[in-house]
Amino acid sequence: MSAVVTVTELTKRYRGVTALDGVSFSLAEHRIHGLLGRNGAGKTTLMQILTAQNFATSGEVSVFGQHPYENEQVLSRISFIKESQTYPSHLRVTHVLRAARLVYPGWDEELAQRLVDVFQLPRGRNVRKLSRGMLSALGIVVGLASRAPLTFFDEPYLGLDAVARQLFYDHLLADYAEHPRTIVLSTHLIDEVSDLIEHVLLIDQGRLLLDVEAEALRGQVVTVSGPVAAVDEFTRTGTELHRASLGGTARATVRGDFGPAAHDRARSLGLDLEASSLQDIVVRLTTSHNGHAAGSTAAADKEAVR
Amino acid sequence: MNRALTVARLQFVGWRSVVGWPWGILALSFSINLALFSAMNENDDFEPTTGGLMSIYVVMFVASINAITQEFPFALGLGVSRRSFYLGNVIHFAGQAISYAAVLYLLAVIEEATDGWGVNLRFFGVPFPLVEHPVLRFLAFAIPFLLLGFIGIAIALVFKRWGVNGLLMLSTVALAAIGGLVVLATWRGWWSAIGGWFADQPGWALLVGWPALLTLLLAGLSYLTIRRATP
Amino acid sequence: MEDGRPIFLQIAELLENSILDGTLAEESQVPSTNELAAFHRINPATAAKGVNKLVDDGTLYKKRGIGMFVSPGARAKLRGRRRDEFARQYVRPLLTEARKLGIEPAELKSMIDTWEEGR
Repeated sequence: MSAVVTVTELTKRYRGVTALDGVSFSLAEHRIHGLLGRNGAGKTTLMQILTAQNFATSGEVSVFGQHPYENEQVLSRISFIKESQTYPSHLRVTHVLRAARLVYPGWDEELAQRLVDVFQLPRGRNVRKLSRGMLSALGIVVGLASRAPLTFFDEPYLGLDAVARQLFYDHLLADYAEHPRTIVLSTHLIDEVSDLIEHVLLIDQGRLLLDVEAEALRGQVVTVSGPVAAVDEFTRTGTELHRASLGGTARATVRGDFGPAAHDRARSLGLDLEASSLQDIVVRLTTSHNGHAAGSTAAADKEAVR
Repeated sequence: MNRALTVARLQFVGWRSVVGWPWGILALSFSINLALFSAMNENDDFEPTTGGLMSIYVVMFVASINAITQEFPFALGLGVSRRSFYLGNVIHFAGQAISYAAVLYLLAVIEEATDGWGVNLRFFGVPFPLVEHPVLRFLAFAIPFLLLGFIGIAIALVFKRWGVNGLLMLSTVALAAIGGLVVLATWRGWWSAIGGWFADQPGWALLVGWPALLTLLLAGLSYLTIRRATP
Repeated sequence: MEDGRPIFLQIAELLENSILDGTLAEESQVPSTNELAAFHRINPATAAKGVNKLVDDGTLYKKRGIGMFVSPGARAKLRGRRRDEFARQYVRPLLTEARKLGIEPAELKSMIDTWEEGR
């Protein structure tokens, strides 16, 4: 599969703050990528640079094989929906949709109108008078109906309730299935999207911690609990990310290449084994290097996954 | 270029307010003046112009600031390049300047033909009777639109790229420069020469020529500034 | 999708279950990957991976341009394979747990009989 985005040693420094620190990865075509990480991890900066809205301090960025800066050929194939998007204050909802229709070559007006109904957006209302959730919904409508070959959704759901978010996921999946394209979904509601995304990028403090297939990650991180000695024995086969103990009992989160055999091994050691959700994995990885975990630097983590 | 035309149209999606504001305010200013002049008795002193025409230029100036503070982040969010955005704005503003100037020119002609709307009101007339040639008179309406537009764009861009500090710095430098020149001119006794120079300039140069030159300079500097601006 | 196992395995297993309980008859058409993806709210590529796993092991077969169908004889084959897995998945943990509690195999058998009668 060809790479739509290639990033090499990308670094971005604002006065004294390193927002991105030597990030390298590539995004394969026609997949839904999850860009995960805590607030302030560097996700938005990364997407701003990929869409030429911001400038890199060093490193290389290639989108559709070219640099995106002032590159109409590249930019017209990108849709970047961000939580902080502002609209000219005199525009109404219909105006925003008309503007998007002018700009995006692949715009689907019928889909846009259908989504406006789905999200119950008031067509004639001024953008200034939209609620936070309505603004998010407007962004989602633009992002989906633009059918851009490369679509970024940066935390697109602020102010949306669970029902509206589920509507977003459903329509995203349905439209993606019919019109495959490369989608980058940046979010910290990991549980909600963990089944949607095919590829995971995890950023923490400007560094790339994970660059891995979502399916490969599933079952790679498990939590075992039981007698300390047995837990020690089990964790020797992987990288321990976290441990809590109470008396002679311990619970450890371990990362490794765990197949069905590992389940049997845990059982024969008298341990309870539980697979970790993507959300747990992310939480463990983004907190573990604060100290107490053994040998889990970012580099070591990346190696263990591959 | 196609993309720039798209941007020019993009600026026009909310055309009601784009067109409504300048002309609405001008109409308001005009009707107030008209009411005043009809209420007044025959005016002995001939007013060169009321100055009410300035209102439409002020609205356009504000619109040009909005173009950078509001339209720029929106357009870039829609995947428009800075170059296309800028060119689209030039087309958008030039288009408005030309069409608005044409309307103002027409209104000035009507004003003259009706002896100031029957009440000796000079609202649309160009203040300098020096400009006689029709094309130059038309340009005297159009160029100030562009000049104010690009002053607005330039100021907003300085704010966009360098924030409040940038604006303060710019004002300080401008003040110091102007103040320095005034002091220099006073000290060297250049004022009569300067006055003479202005007096020697034909009306078209003061209303059209020099503003056009300044507009071009600002347009060029603005383009260089927007190339590295972030929304 | 609930547990931590790869989703495509879960999809494959759900389809297998439908074949085993007769919901999906042999020679009948299987839902498309897009339908599966929308229904389970998962990535279509993942759904396709699950379906392809069943194609690879012969449970499903592809009719060009139409879709996926359940292979003739798939049900019997699946049942055989599941029986083998049954021992590993259920009997072994049953025995492990029983041993922890000191339940002898003979006692376990009589417990199973009692439960079966009480149904």
